[in-house]
Order: sequence, then structure tokens, then C-alpha cells
Amino acid sequence: MLRSAFIFVALVIFGISGSGEANAAGAKEVYDFYCSQCHGATGKGDGPNVTKDMPVTPRNFTNAAEMNKLSDKDLRDVIMDGGPALSKSSIMPPWSQTLTEGETTGLIKHIRKLCKCKGK
Amino acid sequence: MVKRSKVARILALSVMATALIGFNASESRADAATGKKAFDSKKCGGCHYTTGPAREKTIADQLKKKGPELWYAGSKFQKEWLGAWLQNPKPIRPLAYNSLTKKNPGNHPKLAAGDAAGVTDYLMSLTSKDVAAGVIKAKKNLKGKLVFTKKMPCSGCHQYEMRKKVKGGLSGPSLVGAGKRLNPDWIYAYLKAPKAFKPVKMMPVFTGILSDKQMKDVSTFVANFK
Repeated sequence: MLRSAFIFVALVIFGISGSGEANAAGAKEVYDFYCSQCHGATGKGDGPNVTKDMPVTPRNFTNAAEMNKLSDKDLRDVIMDGGPALSKSSIMPPWSQTLTEGETTGLIKHIRKLCKCKGK
Repeated sequence: MVKRSKVARILALSVMATALIGFNASESRADAATGKKAFDSKKCGGCHYTTGPAREKTIADQLKKKGPELWYAGSKFQKEWLGAWLQNPKPIRPLAYNSLTKKNPGNHPKLAAGDAAGVTDYLMSLTSKDVAAGVIKAKKNLKGKLVFTKKMPCSGCHQYEMRKKVKGGLSGPSLVGAGKRLNPDWIYAYLKAPKAFKPVKMMPVFTGILSDKQMKDVSTFVANFK
């Protein structure tokens, strides 16, 4: 009985932490490392790669009106498969082979914090 | 009698050739050993680690590093370029190492010619089994160009030169002159199995996104940047 209870508790704990979702601090670290190269540290679409040569302007995550037009699924699709997933520029890379599911979920939450919006 | 003297001459030549090859090989090892001493005395190891495999497991691990890992330098760089660069280092990445805000100060220490030659020999002795030789030859490659400039976001982060104009993003290492700096086979090996070299990096992993043929095309194209 005691053994079963222990296994149950262990499963619950590992079930929660094992989802791999980055916590808030982790999500910011992931965002800063990968996304801010183009989207900027505060999400305004003004990262260091935004030079006169960039063919498009990266999404401004602080623009709630624009960000509200996108669902979380849209964000996931474009993060995983790149700009063409939403008929946007291929200059937005596909991160499906780089980020874990959990990191992607964490990023979506972080982006929603930046836009202070929930999306459609 | 004639046959015997011919055999003797061939034998003598073989012995001399073997001795010469042996001498050159030991001289090369000696140069690498001398270069290792110079590398250590200049404290290069304070910023660059030289024993593989790759150590970074997390973003924090990567951000702690002060400079790129060099444990596969002999597979990555071209010897002539490396020897010249160590004497007159110029920024490769427009931004400072690991930074997205600071400009590369271009303050890598310069080595005197003798030290640079030794350190080059040492670094060129550090190779990776994951880089197969003779797979990629630098040449014009329109399919590679299409992937690099249109289909994939390479130019978003890497500077490159086209029609005498430098363009592209700043967060990745510049690829201007990459054909002189990088071993073409390393470019392909890195695209194919990036985590063997850089397990945590700002560049996306393209394995499983680009086909093997596309990776070869892009490598061929990038290796042709002069």
C-alpha cells in the first residue's frame, strides 16, 4: 500500500516536471537566446539582425492588436515550421528541430506576456 | 648482376623515402607540441577549450563561454587562413561573442609569426571524426544559392558578399570569405550533425528540415565565398 502510494506520488511529480515546459525564467532565457536575435529583447521586432538588408520587419510582439489576430496554434506553427507556415517570409526560421515541445509552449506564454494579449 | 644493382637502388631509395617521411611526420608532431606550449603560455585556454567532445548542455553553459571551442579546429579551419588570422585577427562575428548588443571589439590577441605558426600546427592537429574528408568541393551552386538566399533564413543572421556588396544579419559569424576560412567538409558536417560540434547555439538545427542533398548544395555554395 505504502509502496503504491510512493509510486503514485513519484508519477505525479515526474508527470508534471517531465512535460519539459520551460518555466517563466526558462522561457525568457530561451526567448533571449533564440528569438531576440530578430525580435529584440523586449519583443518590438528590433533585434540586431534587423538591418536595412532584412527583407521584412520581424513581428512586433508588443503590438496587441496584431498579435490578437494570431491564435496560440498559429504561434506554435510559425515557431516550429517557420514563416511559410503562415504564408510569411522564410527569413523566420523553422525551430522544430531545435526547441522541445516544452520550450515552445513556454515561448508562446512568454510572447503572450509581451503582447499582453490572449490571441484569437 | 644488373638486376641485383637495380633492386639495391630501389631498396636504398625506399629506405631514404621512409626516413624522410618519418622525419617530416616527427617534425610536424614537434611543431604541434611547440604550438601547444605557446597556446598554453599565452593562456588561450582561458577562452577556448581544446578537448572534445562538446561540453555545453544548456544555454547557461554556452553563455558562460568566453570564446569558441577549438577541439575540432583542424577539421574546421583552413591552415593558411588560420596562420594569417592569428597574426592579424579581425572580427568574424560582427557582434561580440555570445552578445546580441555589443559590437565585436576586435581585441583578440595577436601572435608573432613564430608563435602563430606553432599554434596553427597545434590547432590543425585537433580534428573531429565527424568530419569526412573529400565530400564537398567549393564551386558555384545555384541550388545551394537558392536555399541560402531564398528558401531558408541563412542571410537573416549571416553576412555574405554578393555582387561585391556585403549584406545579411549580424548575430551569426560572417560568411564573407568563408571559403578561405572554413573547410568545405566541415560546413557540411556541421549542417548534418550540428550538435556534435555545438550542442547549444543560436542557429536553428536544419537536420530533418533540409535534405542531405540540400545541405551538400548549401555547403558547396558557402565554401565558394571568397
